Amino acid sequence: MPTDPNGPSPIDSTAEAIANAPLPTPRTLRLRKSIPRQIVRFFSFNARMLRMVAKGHS
Amino acid sequence: MARVIVMGAGISGHTAALYLKRALGRDHEVIVVSPAANYNWIPSNIWVGVGRMDEKQVRFPLRPVYERLGIEFHQALGVAIRPFGDKLDPTGAIDITYTDPARTREAARLRYDYLINATGPKLNFAATPGLGPDANSLSVCTVDHAQATAKAFAEVIKEMKSGAHKRLVVGVGHGGCTCEGAAFEYTFNVEHELRQAGVRDMAELTYLTNEYELGDFGVGGLAFDQQGFVSNSKLWTESLFRERGVAAIVGAHVRAVDPGIIHYELLDGTTGELPFDFAMLLPPFRGVEMKAYDAEGNDISEQVFAPSGFMNVDADYAPKPYEEWSPEDWPKTYQSVMAKNVFAIGIAFAPPHPISRPRTSSTGTVISPAPPRTGMPSGVMGRTVAESIARRIKEGTGAALGTASMGAACIASAGAGMRNGSAASMTMYPIEPASPNQGGISRQYRERSASPATGRS
Repeated sequence: MPTDPNGPSPIDSTAEAIANAPLPTPRTLRLRKSIPRQIVRFFSFNARMLRMVAKGHS
Repeated sequence: MARVIVMGAGISGHTAALYLKRALGRDHEVIVVSPAANYNWIPSNIWVGVGRMDEKQVRFPLRPVYERLGIEFHQALGVAIRPFGDKLDPTGAIDITYTDPARTREAARLRYDYLINATGPKLNFAATPGLGPDANSLSVCTVDHAQATAKAFAEVIKEMKSGAHKRLVVGVGHGGCTCEGAAFEYTFNVEHELRQAGVRDMAELTYLTNEYELGDFGVGGLAFDQQGFVSNSKLWTESLFRERGVAAIVGAHVRAVDPGIIHYELLDGTTGELPFDFAMLLPPFRGVEMKAYDAEGNDISEQVFAPSGFMNVDADYAPKPYEEWSPEDWPKTYQSVMAKNVFAIGIAFAPPHPISRPRTSSTGTVISPAPPRTGMPSGVMGRTVAESIARRIKEGTGAALGTASMGAACIASAGAGMRNGSAASMTMYPIEPASPNQGGISRQYRERSASPATGRS
């Protein structure tokens, strides 16, 4: 695909996308450090994985 | 008494061997052939590569484990498969060369009733001039590579502590690589360790990938429900890159690596150079070097293996355009096309095609991820094929073969530490999209989810 001489380079496009990406809120940052919340998510994620492993066999 | 040989003792092969022995007990023989004396939990090599774990924590000797279980272990390299035996005996056989120090270079031919090829990848550093730890870049693919990388990483941190600014590059070293998830994981572990060392502001960190966009991970990206809206892995990944101050070059094929300089080409045909002080670039994969012969000794490698060196199995290998790719193209039983008592699992089987949309640059260079080969489906395949073989041994060759479908759960560490570390978890089921042509995100999002980085060790 030819580069548009008037457009950003692919590297600039990626840099722009990163620069405009959303950042986590202060609440999200606090929840990352919340051990009770992370314990719940840990078990929830592991349950999902076990369900996937079971579904993978027949 | 039947004899089953498992070639390879990685995630897939070791799993297969254990399930075989459990199912067959002492009535039948299970043999493992592996050139390495140790089992290596490869996903943890990432942490060896930043100096957080040492080699004793990520590998253990195989022989004592197999001896306890009654599995015969040969520390040897497989060099050929003879699915139809030889002139003396039509029983299938493999040719091996011992790497066991007590029998180095000794050759042998082992007969089997069933064979599982779980030989994993050949790390094809040779595909890119200058790539690899024997040349100009680092790797975390093996424990030895990762230890050398950790040493180089410690050295560059030391230099930054003395006031030097450094450029670090992490990514994939060829347009056809897979394992972008591992490169992503190593990138953010490096970033985390730089912060822990207090030198983050002295480092410029760049992720160099063949993915068309961030969040592709070799599967065309993921869609997931985020607070009632369909979000996508591109946005999620870009957010992490912004949060952690990591730059990215996407759609790149590394053409060569000179000391301190990466030469790359992008999808639009432009080329560039990326200077570095520290570069960890994963290699592309091939199948291991192994030949196949018929009973007369004629070379039948081209029928048994794909050009990539991986073994052809019950997949649909007919060339077709991206828009016609289907989950039905993928194997179910992992049985070889040439012999019903031979199976290939884990990384050793030949995929029918990639999962991400294939792309070439304007100069014709393929820059597009090969399909990911991750641990969960490898383990599932190992168990499924082991149980299939055990069933055939006990019930006869007409017994049904089990099928394994490819789901994946990937847990990417983004920095070690109970309170200040983080990780991301992603599950996809199935990995292959129901319909490839649904724009940038080709997944029904219910069973595919990515959890944003969380604080956990």
